[in-house]
Amino acid sequence: MVSATGIHAQADTTIIKKDSVDFYEMSLEQLLKLKAHGVPTELEKLINSLISVASKKPLNTRESPSIISLITQDEIASSGARDLIDVLRLIPGFDFGVDVEGVVGVGIRGNWAHEGKVLMLIDGQEMNEILFATNQFGNRYPVEQIKRIEIIRGPGSAIYGGFAEYGVINIITKQGADINGVNVSGTYGQGSEDYLRRNVSLSLGQKIKEVEYSISGSVGQGQRSNGIYTDFQDSSYNMTGNSQNNPAFFNAGIKYKGLSFRAIGDFFQTTMRDGYGNVIPGGAVKDNFCGIFSELKYIIKVNDKLTITPRINYKSQTPWQSEAYTGKEEYNRTATRTLGNITTSYNLNRYINFVLGSEYFRDEAKDKVDSSYFSNNKQKVSYHNYAFFAQGLIKTRIVNFILGARYDKHNEYGYAFVPRVGLTKKYGKFHFKALYSSAFRAPSIENINYSTNDGIKPELTQVIEVEMGYQLTRKSFFNINVYDITTNNPIVYYTDSTSTDYYINSGHSGTQGIEAEYTVKQKWGHVAINYAYYSAGNKEKIPDYEVSDNSSALMAFANNRVNLNSSFNLAKGLSLSPTVSFYGARYGYSSVDSTGTSVAELFAPTTLLNIYLRYNTPLKGLTVGLGVYDILDEQFKFLQPYNGYHAPLPGPGREIIFRLQYTLNYKSKTD
Amino acid sequence: MKNAKYIKYIKLMLFAALFLRGVYSGNCKAQETDYKAYTLFVYNFMKYIEWPEAQNKGDFILAVLGDSPITKELETLAATKKIKGRNIVIRKCKTPEDTYGCHLLFVPSSKSAVVKTLKEQTKDKPVLIVGEREGLAKKGASLSFVTLEDDELKFDINKKEIEQHQLKIASSLISLGIVIN
Repeated sequence: MVSATGIHAQADTTIIKKDSVDFYEMSLEQLLKLKAHGVPTELEKLINSLISVASKKPLNTRESPSIISLITQDEIASSGARDLIDVLRLIPGFDFGVDVEGVVGVGIRGNWAHEGKVLMLIDGQEMNEILFATNQFGNRYPVEQIKRIEIIRGPGSAIYGGFAEYGVINIITKQGADINGVNVSGTYGQGSEDYLRRNVSLSLGQKIKEVEYSISGSVGQGQRSNGIYTDFQDSSYNMTGNSQNNPAFFNAGIKYKGLSFRAIGDFFQTTMRDGYGNVIPGGAVKDNFCGIFSELKYIIKVNDKLTITPRINYKSQTPWQSEAYTGKEEYNRTATRTLGNITTSYNLNRYINFVLGSEYFRDEAKDKVDSSYFSNNKQKVSYHNYAFFAQGLIKTRIVNFILGARYDKHNEYGYAFVPRVGLTKKYGKFHFKALYSSAFRAPSIENINYSTNDGIKPELTQVIEVEMGYQLTRKSFFNINVYDITTNNPIVYYTDSTSTDYYINSGHSGTQGIEAEYTVKQKWGHVAINYAYYSAGNKEKIPDYEVSDNSSALMAFANNRVNLNSSFNLAKGLSLSPTVSFYGARYGYSSVDSTGTSVAELFAPTTLLNIYLRYNTPLKGLTVGLGVYDILDEQFKFLQPYNGYHAPLPGPGREIIFRLQYTLNYKSKTD
Repeated sequence: MKNAKYIKYIKLMLFAALFLRGVYSGNCKAQETDYKAYTLFVYNFMKYIEWPEAQNKGDFILAVLGDSPITKELETLAATKKIKGRNIVIRKCKTPEDTYGCHLLFVPSSKSAVVKTLKEQTKDKPVLIVGEREGLAKKGASLSFVTLEDDELKFDINKKEIEQHQLKIASSLISLGIVIN
């Protein structure tokens, strides 16, 4: 007799009875759900997830032709993450630095990637604003609404174009079927002096037969820090009341069969007094980062082999909008992008797939103040770009081979051609990836506008990556990768002591490094520990990013990083989640000498220790969370990764978090 | 200098990979092939494929060529179930010649190389050759298993081979698999 115990060949646990006869009498329909390797563990589900972020064609994570990190909604919820900074800083190679006007941007693998080097997508919409191509982080996007995040920790230009040079953050929010009801949550964070955040979020959605809809919104108030900002002239101000990060975010989508429409509104208002480094006298200045995004998409399955996906996107953004303040004029410009894309995927057979596509976009920018602001001496400027991309994927028993390329032609700065080639394969417990990618950063509208008489060109990057992974047990996994990044003619931002900005292509830059991660997921919880190291020692450097005392380091980013993301199930419905981010020593500008030259300082290692307790109460759907972030009150300082005369910006410091979440599910999901 | 640095990285990674293989290869319990699922499919092949009338007498002989973990699962099946009132007998075969007279021949991955020989040897005989490895249906097996990208277990159907072996496959089973010709 075969007992039910240990039976893995089950499509659905409900169909397995204690008697083995029932098992063998499984219907033909039930056979369709059988897995070749039995019921996967939670870890196996994660590491073998199908994703298409790196290839357009769904592939399992271990064979996907990029270095990938996946973050699930459960991991976000159990960790108690307050915002995307908390989520992303646990990813190997990700880091944050300060730009100007209190804005915190992303760095990756030691490189400052704030301007146009990391693409962020929310439900397929490109969130980077197109004036400078930046994203602003800190109490902005509602993490409660995220279903999962797929991250390419390397180049993605061959698919995504000019903002995906160093990485892609693909955020997928909970859709109608995922929500299947109503979800409400509120988060309150208390700092040493004042609140640091108070946000509310509401989502509702459902799938009814072929129609799926979701409507989500969140509003809130936050503050970057309760600390003191001190500039190079020793002027200072209390960031309490002067460093607001107030989000309002709306996201609605409807889908019928292959046809879908989505609209997103992102209204992020900040206040600051740090400006371009020197403390702004008087009160705080408002900065607005607003955008509306929309997409109409139709997935046409012509037959089993051929899929054609046309889509139209429109977005309008008004980022960095501020009143005039000492040293800077009013900034009030709106940019729109209208984009059309058609992508064709053809499966010649199970082993060979081709993706072909083309894209066209038109950018328009308007200055609302100055009638001759842009480089054409007019109030408006417009550009257009067309692109073609192609990819071939061949799967064999020995290796999977992927070859792709994208060609972009812009009417102002010319063309960029970025090929890539990848070899990947999973052999049972072991997998490897060997990847070569060319990538580019497209100059943004303001890059063009602030360029010198020499003009501005796309910067080109070559990246080599090798990854190996090994599934140690059914519940533990280890992977390690090395990379080499070389960027030619990077677009470099300079701001001088008179707050004049300009962009030029200058020299070379890049890093090499290693990243390793060990993950275990058991009934008692999960632990993921990762280590990331980068060195710029063998690379040329941009003078303003360089550390004169240490050739392997670049400004603001620690060479050595260790993260721990863990969660332990203490009792039914009760979990305790410690997370730790260790930063090795970092260099950052902290003062000026008597000649007015910036002076760099070595900042001691920092450890951010957080703990979060989450409890699913007996009241169905109600979850409460209580945590402390930055228990050691290190008040992590965001350093400026370039010589921009900006002093270190204090982070939130110790923060007590309280979160309440209520989910009301409809009785049954309707397919 | 640059090359030396690359070599250092590669050495480090190779060391890590070898270390892990060394430490864990002995007792690793990573996700193994689930032969119960394969057995369930094989059982349905027996149910939904018709053999010529002359073959429908006596025991149903299910041969497995070489050593395979599926044998144990098939033996469990044979101890539990019958096919149209007939006992299922599992025959362990060391060589292709030993398979003579069987109704269904399961070819494990390790024996994939002999499929062409088996095809010739069983030509025009009522034998269903089932290959474990993907692609064997193209090389002469009647059916062969396929693991899709999301780990779903499926099978390729070589209708010509099935007909050549005087077998009839039910349309309901065809709709479950992938017809390759």
